[in-house]
Amino acid sequence: MAGSNLLSWILWMPMLGVLGVLILPKDKTTMIKGWALINTIITFILTVVLYSKFDTNQAGMQEAFNVAIPWISQFNIFYRLGVDGISLPMVILTGLLFMLCILSSWTQIKKSIKAYFALLLLLQSTVFGVFFALDFFLFYVYWEVMLIPMFFLIGVWGGENREYAAVKFFLYTFFGSILMLVGIVALYFATNQSVDSFNILALSGGKFSQLSVSLFGTTVSFSKIFFVFMFIGFAIKVPVFPFHTWLPHAHVQAPTAISVILAGVLLKMGTYGFLRIAFPIFPESAKYFSTAIAWLGLINVIYGALCAMAQTDVKKLIAYSSVSHMGFVMLGLAAMTVQGVNGAVLQMFNHGTSTAMMFFMIGILYERSHHRWIVKPDGSRGYGGLYTQLPVYSIIFIIGMFASMGLPGLSGFISEALIFLGIYERFTTITVLALFGLLIGAAYLLWMFKRMFFGDVNPEVKEYEDMTKLEVLYMAPLCVAVILFGIWPSPILNVMKASVGQLVSLLATF
Amino acid sequence: MHLNYLANIGRYIPEVILVLLMVGLIILEATYKEDEKNRKYIFIATLVGLVATLGALIANMSGKAEAIFSNSIIIDQFSTLIKMVMVLGTLAAIYLSRFSKDIYESLKTEFAIMAVGILIGGFLLASANNMLTFYLGIETLSILSYVMAALKKNDQRSSEAGLKYALYGGISAGLMLFGMSHIFGVLGTIQFAGVAKMIPTLTSAQLAILMPSFVLLFAGIGYKIASVPFHMWSPDVYEGSPTPVTTFFAIVPKLAGIAALIRITAVFFVVDSPMKIGWIGLLIVISALTMTVGNVTAIGQKSVKRMLAYSSISHAGIMLAGIVVINDVGIRSVVFYGITYLFMTLVAFYITSIVQDKYGNDHFDRFSGLIYRYPFMAVMMAVVMFSLTGLPPLAGFVAKYNIISSLINSKNYALAIVLGLNSVVSAYYYLKIVRLMTLKPQESNEEIEGFGFLNQMVIVSMTVPVFVLGIFWETIMNLAAGAKLFIQ
Repeated sequence: MAGSNLLSWILWMPMLGVLGVLILPKDKTTMIKGWALINTIITFILTVVLYSKFDTNQAGMQEAFNVAIPWISQFNIFYRLGVDGISLPMVILTGLLFMLCILSSWTQIKKSIKAYFALLLLLQSTVFGVFFALDFFLFYVYWEVMLIPMFFLIGVWGGENREYAAVKFFLYTFFGSILMLVGIVALYFATNQSVDSFNILALSGGKFSQLSVSLFGTTVSFSKIFFVFMFIGFAIKVPVFPFHTWLPHAHVQAPTAISVILAGVLLKMGTYGFLRIAFPIFPESAKYFSTAIAWLGLINVIYGALCAMAQTDVKKLIAYSSVSHMGFVMLGLAAMTVQGVNGAVLQMFNHGTSTAMMFFMIGILYERSHHRWIVKPDGSRGYGGLYTQLPVYSIIFIIGMFASMGLPGLSGFISEALIFLGIYERFTTITVLALFGLLIGAAYLLWMFKRMFFGDVNPEVKEYEDMTKLEVLYMAPLCVAVILFGIWPSPILNVMKASVGQLVSLLATF
Repeated sequence: MHLNYLANIGRYIPEVILVLLMVGLIILEATYKEDEKNRKYIFIATLVGLVATLGALIANMSGKAEAIFSNSIIIDQFSTLIKMVMVLGTLAAIYLSRFSKDIYESLKTEFAIMAVGILIGGFLLASANNMLTFYLGIETLSILSYVMAALKKNDQRSSEAGLKYALYGGISAGLMLFGMSHIFGVLGTIQFAGVAKMIPTLTSAQLAILMPSFVLLFAGIGYKIASVPFHMWSPDVYEGSPTPVTTFFAIVPKLAGIAALIRITAVFFVVDSPMKIGWIGLLIVISALTMTVGNVTAIGQKSVKRMLAYSSISHAGIMLAGIVVINDVGIRSVVFYGITYLFMTLVAFYITSIVQDKYGNDHFDRFSGLIYRYPFMAVMMAVVMFSLTGLPPLAGFVAKYNIISSLINSKNYALAIVLGLNSVVSAYYYLKIVRLMTLKPQESNEEIEGFGFLNQMVIVSMTVPVFVLGIFWETIMNLAAGAKLFIQ
């Protein structure tokens, strides 16, 4: 396999999987699941191969893997793929999580199995597309196509209120993308429709600082207005306050595997968008708005944590904790320093593993209890005494929870520490306030843990089985990841440092 | 002069075929005995005639653009391409009428005759180069449409639709005629090119007198394409008419009106003048209003046909947005939009028609759980709904993208944003159908008779372009770009 085709292989392998699932007969469910699993394993192996061939000294796109084939040459639209240190961790995370999600869906999904696995694999392909695409048009296509499988995955296999959640998710994201589309087209014409007008890399570097546009009769800076458009498009995905309201619904209603994908990968597409598109193309505006972004990040951290504290539904609690943790990523980005951005990218990866663990664990518990209440609506306890009844479950849950909390020795700590290191000099007040977010984070997680795992044993809990072998099997890689990268983060940091350094030095010139 | 006529007739073959077809059908209908076998022959004859027209149009496509019949008709690539789209729409509507239960069996031939007649009007309108041909086109189109809307004689709503259409149509035609005679009175010419030549020479007082007559002229076209504020008739007519008629209305008169509007805008307003600013300003406002009103009203509908009526209003608004950018890029994007709109509308109406035939009405709930009964058809419908919303990689996205792109190219950022936000609004009601089809339990276990194998194949063959035009759109885009206006 030539190195230059590796990205295409990773991108199209899941589509091959979709094709296979569609061909297999409907009632051969084990074959469908098995095919999907094999497919995702191959994809994951390919991402590991990509990692092994990655040249850590090369900043920017890895030349060995670049692909550029004309798609619609009249409009200079290319099938242009590439990978750098910022996208590689996300690609590996995507490969890993989808593989685990197939395993987790193995027993949890009971209706329309064929359609479910076909859509899940389609989703995987579009996610890879977003992380690989270097052509704006291609990027937008993948960004939007992703909505279709997500809409059905939430809408068909979700909880009671799934339709509302699916539609809300769809409309919110679609709204953001439309603003982004206007920005993309504006950039296309600002660069005179040249060969590079859709080339994300060629557009980067702050070429638009002098332009201005007339909008609704007033003249505004081109760079600022379209930075804001793109910012909103990506912020809805992250989600940044006040665009976060779709998230709790989508998370609570989605089936376990989809919650994992949503929190683990899809939210990162928003911050990835900042790193790949909004910041490099409009560095001067990124700098200009960085204080505002930092404050928004702070609101995310504090507000998400406080909301999480108030929840009685454990899945909703974790959903809000995602809002809070993505706030840290925003803080790291706003810092625009080497440590801050490194921390942010690392946090994107680490939050992907730790929050995936939490959602998987909640899904496993739901399989047994068929509810998710910490405190039931009638005031009685939903769980209690899980610790004595389900020892294996409890241990794995503790690992995930502490990783999520940022306990030293586990993965969350390093990325959060880097972010605070990076942001302290620029935004001291915000740093101090954000530290309270960590405190609240510890509080809600420990409080949740106390109410669910300690105390008198709830009679219902006695009937639960401990984790099955399959469940341990798909939790094990994540446990290893959060512990390993908590002690030894350099495998990821090494990969990203050159690319991050390039981005930071670009931002520093403005 | 007479020799000229004969020399030109070679370029006029498509229209001649249509007229012969219509006359032939009338004679056949009047003389043959009414039975299934003869009806089938007439049906086949209609299809053959339309295919022949299509062939003649394709032959015309490669010829050089010219004005014929004393400069009253223009045969250029633009009008020919629009005519081809209209013929395809007519073909599909007549095919649909064949198995639809919404039209009385005995009236199906009449439907075909009237459809061909309206098509002739549409051809005239798309080619009109002076105000007389223009008016002739609009009236041919309209008078037959009134009858067509009332085709379900015993149905109260169909009669209401016909009458409503006739009343609105009569008033707007009158307004337009008044506007035209005013323009003729001031400028002394009915040729489009003559009017265009005069406009820059006018004083501002003369312009002030002339502007209202242009607004009146717009009223006539605005009514045909159902733009706000002349759209009131359209939902009632769409809902009341038999479904094949609605399908036909959603495509042929609308595209003919769009074509005429493009020609008028391109011919009259080449040079910058206060007049052009006024006209374009009018188009911008009307386009934004049409999109928004169409989409917002569509949300609350309970009948799928009515919802599609409002959605087609909003699509007309989007095409108007493309006309605002009156240059090659703008025209190209509108033509492309028209082509994709044809396929998306046809699939949506075909499936609606079959579902409606089964249940006797087209309430939203009839689509519940369609995926459990007809997974393939439900998927096609979902594809078309996503395409109408404007999601990649489907044709609807590319079409909208091109219009947004031509708007931004001409610095109409505000209208581009309005268009984009309207897509979000439209997503809500298109998703509603997708939601009902896939997320709701099925309503009954009954099979729908209408989905025969052949019909399914027809629907699939019309959905394929929705995919193909979404991914490999360069060829059709070049075709649309080649559809240049010829101005003389």
